[in-house]
Amino acid sequence: MDTLNILLMGFISIVLINNLVFTKFLGICPYLGVSGRIDMAFGMGMAVTFVVTLSGTLTWLIDHLILMGTPLEVTRYVCFIMVIAGAVQLVEMYVRKFFPSLYESFGIFLPLITTNCAILGLCLFINLWEVDNLLEAVVLSFGSGIGFTMAICIMAGIRENLNLADVPECLKGAPITLITAGLLTLAFMGFAGMIR
Amino acid sequence: MTLADLYQLWNSAWPAGATMLGLGSGFAVVLLIASEKLKVQVDPKIEQIDGALPQIDCGACGFAGCTSYAKAVAEKPNLIGKCAPGGPETAGKIAEILNLQVSDSGAAQRPIVHCRAHAEDKTYYGQYQGILTCTAANALPTIQACKFGCIGYGDCVSACKFDALHNIDGLATVDYDKCTGCTACSKACPRNLIEMVPFRHENMMTVACSNRETGKATRSMCKVGCIACGLCVKQTDLFSVQDNSARLDYEKYQPNEQAETAFNKCPTGVIIYRGPSAPPPRQPKQKSAAKTASA
Repeated sequence: MDTLNILLMGFISIVLINNLVFTKFLGICPYLGVSGRIDMAFGMGMAVTFVVTLSGTLTWLIDHLILMGTPLEVTRYVCFIMVIAGAVQLVEMYVRKFFPSLYESFGIFLPLITTNCAILGLCLFINLWEVDNLLEAVVLSFGSGIGFTMAICIMAGIRENLNLADVPECLKGAPITLITAGLLTLAFMGFAGMIR
Repeated sequence: MTLADLYQLWNSAWPAGATMLGLGSGFAVVLLIASEKLKVQVDPKIEQIDGALPQIDCGACGFAGCTSYAKAVAEKPNLIGKCAPGGPETAGKIAEILNLQVSDSGAAQRPIVHCRAHAEDKTYYGQYQGILTCTAANALPTIQACKFGCIGYGDCVSACKFDALHNIDGLATVDYDKCTGCTACSKACPRNLIEMVPFRHENMMTVACSNRETGKATRSMCKVGCIACGLCVKQTDLFSVQDNSARLDYEKYQPNEQAETAFNKCPTGVIIYRGPSAPPPRQPKQKSAAKTASA
């Protein structure tokens, strides 16, 4: 029961309170770039969730089984990036095979998941928070992906409605998007300090 | 650094290398299997067409690059002749791949500059000191007397990806050996001086002026401008005079005696040959000589 409690708390924490996009400002590039339409945003969120779960789990394993046993922690960044790049390649092939239209509309943003700082950030945060339990690492990675999906979908929903709104001429396009992002962040700051 | 140091360095370095190698090869195997399992069948025609294209991604076809053009042309064969740098040859190859027949894909399009005035031929009101691009200079009505001629700051030169345009003494000059016909220069010119013309012959006769002022006004501002005297029109109906400027029908142009006579009779030498081995332009006749010719 205790373990379940910790896992649940960790999940809620990473989705709402320590959301990587809203509180750590990671992964802003696809967050602003692919949030034009809600279906694309959801696809992007799913792709990132898959990559982050896979790479979060794998990096935890690699970190604990290989790197910490031998004093090789210095190579952590390189190893993590390699894992992420491999996972992204896998996702790219999968999406290209089964969702060709999604693949077309993602364009450059799909391979760019490799350099999505939310993913590397999460892998390093898991290490920083000294998560010493594989299950917890998996839940945190998955939760961060869900958090990203939620953030990008909220953003896409707002932007779809913004298209119909009467935005002042000088704020059309990127400025209103940035303002929206700022307000969203402010709203989510209200959760700050609830857990952890 | 002693040998012992090196040995120590090696001792602490090799596990890192081995780990990387192990992880890397592990992922390589996984990805290899995945790439076989998740292979996407691409229409082999698209790859073949892509191979036949020049791969310079100039954008003359209206697509982002050669690959996207290949995709589009495989779906819609009526886009076949859009590759300007490849010309009829590439169109023929694509037609062969798509199992089609191209009747007449037309001659290769090459740009001609409708001006032949170098700096010494033009009249200036003053010295321009500003942003050195044609687009900026063109906003100034008094940049030079002629409102139609080449400004000579080389917007077309910087637009050219193939080093085929050079600014020679205040006049954009095309190097037809290097030109691929990608139309970038004709889009860059703020005065629309550069026209794409089908080069049915190696050297084309062209009218190198687009001035629309009356003959007298043109004379006053340019030594080599077209004065719309109509001498060329009298020789052959390939020529016509519109808006105070001679025009040549490039679609119908054939080298013949009448055209040659028109070339020789032109008082300002505005009819010139253009092409890889074009003869040099004629010098304008002196004013008195021009008078006797028209008399």
